[in-house]
Amino acid sequence: MTEKILTEKNLVVRHSTLELIEHWAIALSGLILLVTGIFELPVGKRYYIVNVPGLGWSADFITSLYLHYAAAVVFTAAGMFHLVYHGLRGEKGLLPRRGDLSESIKVIKSLFGFGEEPPMHKYLPEQRLAYVGMAFIILMLIVSGLVKTYKNIYAPDMSYPVLLWATWIHNIFFILFFLAFIAHMAAIALRPNWPMVRGIFTGRVRLDYARHRHPLWIAELDPSLQKNTAPPDELPESVDMAKQETEEEG
Amino acid sequence: MTQQDHFRMGRRSFLKITAAAAVASAAGLPQKAYAAKDRQLATLIDLSLCDGCPDRKVPACVGACKEINKNKIPRVIDPIPEPWPRKTIENWSKKQDVFNRLTPYNFIYVHKAELTVDGEKKTVFVPRRCMHCDNPACVTICPFSANHKNKNGAVVIDQNSCFGGAKCRDVCPWEIPQRQSGVGIYLHVLPGLMGNGVMYKCDLCHERLAKGKLPGCIEACPREALLIGDRRAIEQLAESRAGRMNGYIYGKTQNGGTSTFYVSPVPFEDLDKTMVKKPGQPDMKTDVKRRMADTDPLAKAVLASPVVGIAAAGIMGFLSKRKDRAKKEA
Repeated sequence: MTEKILTEKNLVVRHSTLELIEHWAIALSGLILLVTGIFELPVGKRYYIVNVPGLGWSADFITSLYLHYAAAVVFTAAGMFHLVYHGLRGEKGLLPRRGDLSESIKVIKSLFGFGEEPPMHKYLPEQRLAYVGMAFIILMLIVSGLVKTYKNIYAPDMSYPVLLWATWIHNIFFILFFLAFIAHMAAIALRPNWPMVRGIFTGRVRLDYARHRHPLWIAELDPSLQKNTAPPDELPESVDMAKQETEEEG
Repeated sequence: MTQQDHFRMGRRSFLKITAAAAVASAAGLPQKAYAAKDRQLATLIDLSLCDGCPDRKVPACVGACKEINKNKIPRVIDPIPEPWPRKTIENWSKKQDVFNRLTPYNFIYVHKAELTVDGEKKTVFVPRRCMHCDNPACVTICPFSANHKNKNGAVVIDQNSCFGGAKCRDVCPWEIPQRQSGVGIYLHVLPGLMGNGVMYKCDLCHERLAKGKLPGCIEACPREALLIGDRRAIEQLAESRAGRMNGYIYGKTQNGGTSTFYVSPVPFEDLDKTMVKKPGQPDMKTDVKRRMADTDPLAKAVLASPVVGIAAAGIMGFLSKRKDRAKKEA
């Protein structure tokens, strides 16, 4: 298990190096796929994107296709790796649990000052729900993209209904992927979530933050630490914790 | 039989050279042979036979095509919504009679090439239309799959799902598809912001083929300069005709191969020199590469990538579990 409490450094290892590589491989290749996917629409000339310095290639659909394919290799391999590797290891921390929907509503309400956040595991309940949503979107994009790629090389005359399904699944899930990406960025922008951002860059989050916001996770890692953790209803506002951390880091 | 007689082989005679067609011909229903949707077809355009129909105002192939497709484009909305921010509008609705170039209302035209070959002045007439390529980028790269290649080789744009972005024209080496603004599905979505009409081009009269009829241009040609038939038979016929006239073939290798075979007694390089590429008037360069072919190796890597990801996960998953077990035992 990678997760580890580093008490003397006031840190908890939240993600392994492999997980960080997986995340960033999917994130960066996904971004390239988003941009080059947009450039596969006839927008480069129409919206004068070609006039933007460095984007002269945006109206060349074949150049965009090169980049789209290159990113798709990384995206697909990393996506499939993630699914199979963590599946084999039986890691289910990101899978939704019973009650996640109502817990998510509580968390979201608390972000706007209504009520207290419930004690949380390693991942927030809405993170687990979002993960399944994003994983499904990615899976659909990969499957439909593979059909389209096969058609491009070997079968321009493939069954029209199959092609139309693949095309529209790819287009619709492209929009959903874009929306999911924006939602992901919006979640990061929320102040209480800021302490988690360092985790996706360094793999580690602050122990004091984790003890207050993710007590159930810390209890799993080291039950003795839970005893020293105040019950959730006595915890300071997570907003304050984030603020405190920002000030300390600043 | 003179060489010219060979070239003037009739449609019925031609059909006899293909096995499937021969059966149909014997049954007295030669045209039914075209109705088989999965049978790969090809067309032959014999430039040694085409004379541009000097006795007609409009060449017979062009006239027949226009007649068949005269009601294809629905009424164009007036005024046509102005696209934003680039305000390009392509409206041919008031110039439907134009027949000397490709337009949304004219899917075939005849180029007149006047050239000197071996000191001899010659006039060659070249019917131009969609080549119906074997692996057409206009089909594979359409973001809405509005353009599709049928099993019989016909490349067909579905005007009900085309947004008129003209991407197909951009990737076509001959820039064949032509846009009519003010019609199509884009009018019902965001006409000012996305889409700009519908793309039109020759569809090999696929609906007529399905009914066992010949494409209009082929049926109308008085000199039988245009033929259609089984792909392999047409290819062989093109080879044999080119061989007999010591001539040349165009369309066999261009853009990765097409299902249109031009046969000419003069080199296509010379014909190309008589053509100035303009909108709706393609040239005839002989070194036309299929640009997407260069992306195929990377596309194959995409197809292999799930296997690579799964294999790597399997190996690493196994190793990490073994490591975990060793740790526990220690």
